[in-house]
Amino acid sequence: MTRGDPVLTATGLQKFYQSGDRRIEVLRSVDLTVAAGESVSIRGESGSGKSTLLNLLAGLDSADAGTLAWGGAPAKASRRAVFLGIVFQSFYLIPEIDARANVLMAARMLKAPGAKERARADELLQRVGLTERATHLPTQLSGGERQRVAVARALMNSPQLLLADEPTGNLDEHTGDVVIEMLLALCRETGTALVLVTHNVAHAAKTGRQLVLTNGRLA
Amino acid sequence: MPWYLYLAFKQLFPTGRFPFFTAISVLGVTLGVAVLVIVTSVMGGFGYEIRRMIVETEGEIDVKARGYVADPREILAKVRATPGVAAATPYAKGAVAVLAAGRTAYPMFRGVDVNSVESVTQLGRFVNPRSSLAALDDDSVIMSSALANSLGVRIGDKIEIYSPLIIEKMKSDEVFLPREFRVIGDLYIGHQQLDSSTIYGTVRAAQDLYGLGKGVHGIYVRVKDGENEHAVVARLNATTLPPTMRAFSWMESWEDFLWVLNLEKSINFFLLLFIVIIAAFSVMSSLLISVVRKTREIGLLGALGARARDVALCFCAQAFIIGVTGTLAGVGLGFGVLAIRNDLVHGIAKIMQRQDTLRQFYQFSDLPSHTLTSDLVLTVVMSIVISTLAGLIPAWRAARLKPVEALRSE
Ligand SMILES: Nc1ncnc2c1ncn2[C@@H]1O[C@H](COP(=O)(O)OP(=O)(O)OP(=O)(O)O)[C@@H](O)[C@H]1O
Ligand SMILES: [Mg+2]
Repeated sequence: MTRGDPVLTATGLQKFYQSGDRRIEVLRSVDLTVAAGESVSIRGESGSGKSTLLNLLAGLDSADAGTLAWGGAPAKASRRAVFLGIVFQSFYLIPEIDARANVLMAARMLKAPGAKERARADELLQRVGLTERATHLPTQLSGGERQRVAVARALMNSPQLLLADEPTGNLDEHTGDVVIEMLLALCRETGTALVLVTHNVAHAAKTGRQLVLTNGRLA
Repeated sequence: MPWYLYLAFKQLFPTGRFPFFTAISVLGVTLGVAVLVIVTSVMGGFGYEIRRMIVETEGEIDVKARGYVADPREILAKVRATPGVAAATPYAKGAVAVLAAGRTAYPMFRGVDVNSVESVTQLGRFVNPRSSLAALDDDSVIMSSALANSLGVRIGDKIEIYSPLIIEKMKSDEVFLPREFRVIGDLYIGHQQLDSSTIYGTVRAAQDLYGLGKGVHGIYVRVKDGENEHAVVARLNATTLPPTMRAFSWMESWEDFLWVLNLEKSINFFLLLFIVIIAAFSVMSSLLISVVRKTREIGLLGALGARARDVALCFCAQAFIIGVTGTLAGVGLGFGVLAIRNDLVHGIAKIMQRQDTLRQFYQFSDLPSHTLTSDLVLTVVMSIVISTLAGLIPAWRAARLKPVEALRSE
């Protein structure tokens, strides 16, 4: 991968679901290129395939056609932990461990965390305003706080790309605004590219490029 | 520590919460292992006691003659002089017919040398009254209590004994009379195999019954403390004994019986192992529930970059940790119960008012226990292996989950 390479290159992505003898064409042909440090928002009606697309971009699901590259090299599951972070609508924190351990979990996927990783986790928790809450279990945190932990976890391994699927979907309006501001600011500071799926027009407007998914295509 | 081990520990023992599910799974394994440890130890204890009884009634080495030795004095002296031999006593034995009060039995008549028998065996310990062994003369016998009961004979009664020699005499048309003996004591060893029908008398009485003259069938030997009986057996066979005689350790003499004892223990072990297997099923079902409950988190682990193999290992590790914890606790509990076993048994006997029965039935009024390291190792290894195997199906279910589908599940 060279410096000029886009962080994400998707060409002609297709995804079908077969239900009985009906074929649901969710994604017909999606082309998307995201440059390093760029922020992109994707809107679309419910059921238009935004989550499907994001899962494809994250390499969590495989496309029926098309190609996907991360940083100029083919996307592979084994590269995911290092290359990208994901934030979902539900926070998916591990309930048995505290906030700090949840953030560190991303680092654990690569190696047992040392002092450097712990310091980074603490720094991220501080950035999302949860220093006081570091030793709280997920059940002891509010929805907004949980999502902030999830954001810190997604950024733990200093990924080049952050994928966020309606990260404010489960939060009230004000909390949602706070989380989005935080997300955008963190990505800007760290030079992380962002693909943000959202219903919220105001949130979308804050990203560098606004796209809409309709009829299985991005426009 | 790889993440899957870390998470395995954390899922079993969550921060700041009592690990309820884990405790139940562990408890199952603990109970199974404890029962295994207790039962194999007590059975081992009975086996050990029986072995001790064999040695205490017959010595550690049996020097058998082919046919019989006509004059045992010389060989007896040689055996006694063999290094490692502490004491030796001659014996003559054979099947006889006993007639008493109109009933017949065909016990083994064991002729012992009253002067030296107690230097080799501790027969006196099992004889009632104790003095009767020393009081044994050529017209008196000590009868095993099982035989006495079945014949309806009591101490002081007279019995008639016929030996195979009478058949010889009948062939040559000689007049024959049975020998009459007085029962002066009874014998109770505590194991059916050893107690079944036996009559103890003097060597001379046995020689008369079998027409041996001064001859004997063999010599019982006790080895010196700290001597290995197999080494002494080898020494006797190599140098001391003529080709017509052979020494056997008690283990060789009782090989079949010991094999059966061992078989009993193995069967018990196998049956009790099912408790551990059932406990493993409970480990499996609680882990399966955990996989279902944590489906979304498993999806998340995939999203964080976990490999399916490591997800599987996470659940296998949980089963392993439960297995190890439960097994160690079970060994602890087992030895704990064994340590207070006599208080327990006496307590139960007291509640049921059966203390006398207990003493009557088992020579040892205390419950024996003898733990073999090999049994313990087998228990520990089997239990850990079985528990870990129980994690395979949950692990496979977890590894099979596709991240997207797992994350979508509600
Ligand atoms: N596993 C599946 N099997 C069949 N159809 C599916 C499956 N997953 C998604 N779909 C269908 O694909 C379409 C797109 O789903 P997706 O979740 O991507 O929509 P979305 O744009 O994220 O909607 P929302 O805004 O409500 O989250 C929907 O019509 C959905 O029913
Ligand atoms: Mg969606």
